[in-house]
Amino acid sequence: MEKTKVRKFRWFWVWQDEAEENWLEKMSQKGYHLSSVSPPGFYTFSVAEPKNYIYRLDYQTFHKKDKREYLQLFHDAGWEHIGDFSAWLYFRKEAKQGETTEIFTDVESKIAKYKRVLTYLGFFYFLMIVIFGGRILTDVPYPWCDAIQVFILLVLLIFTYAIIRLAMRIRQLKKL
Amino acid sequence: MATGDDAKRYLPLTEATYYIMLSLIEPLHGYAVMQKVEQISQGTVKVGPGTLYGVFDTLEAAGLIVMVKEENRRKSYKLTPKGKKILLSQIKRLEIMTGKGLTVIDRL
Repeated sequence: MEKTKVRKFRWFWVWQDEAEENWLEKMSQKGYHLSSVSPPGFYTFSVAEPKNYIYRLDYQTFHKKDKREYLQLFHDAGWEHIGDFSAWLYFRKEAKQGETTEIFTDVESKIAKYKRVLTYLGFFYFLMIVIFGGRILTDVPYPWCDAIQVFILLVLLIFTYAIIRLAMRIRQLKKL
Repeated sequence: MATGDDAKRYLPLTEATYYIMLSLIEPLHGYAVMQKVEQISQGTVKVGPGTLYGVFDTLEAAGLIVMVKEENRRKSYKLTPKGKKILLSQIKRLEIMTGKGLTVIDRL
């Protein structure tokens, strides 16, 4: 029997949302349509005829009630909600002539999305510095502490890089 | 005057915000606003659901629109008096812009 579901693992960094959308669109063109997504990067696809789907990701942190209204609005506008990956929401729509292929139709709202991601990252960044900042600087007598220090430092570096990438994306959008 | 300060804070409205506010002269829910914006802008402006949700959020928090009905997970909004004032200031700004534009249009 032919497989109807395919599971794939793929890692995307926080600043690669557009690359992720493109990848999902290419998968659909090959007949693999996203049916669910779960951390840290598991994508389940249902196998069917190839289709020209447009995939779009939004980032929202809101209350349950607000989310229902938000999803209703997307549904009314023809967007199918496929699933969530932490605060990332996955939507798709069949590409049709004359219809907008964007969930964000102006620069301001695109910037606002990246600012929401930045706020979240910034919060955790700050938290990490508060919790581990002292630890990185102090000498600890046990050798395994070095490994932890290196790990924390690495995470901090990735966060720093992510924040820079997102800030650059916002700057680039502002120039449009 | 308070309204003058308000106007300065919110103006100029983005094109999407302007048309969304124009639509909300009567109570409408989200998708109806999207359709109306496309219609009254003669197809020049289309508002995606992500953009609309953000604008609703901002306008409601600023007290420029208010929720008047909630039905089947669809909220309907309409302009508040404050919203009307801001919209009016924007229309006047646009009038100056297009008025000036029209005086030179023949020379372009």
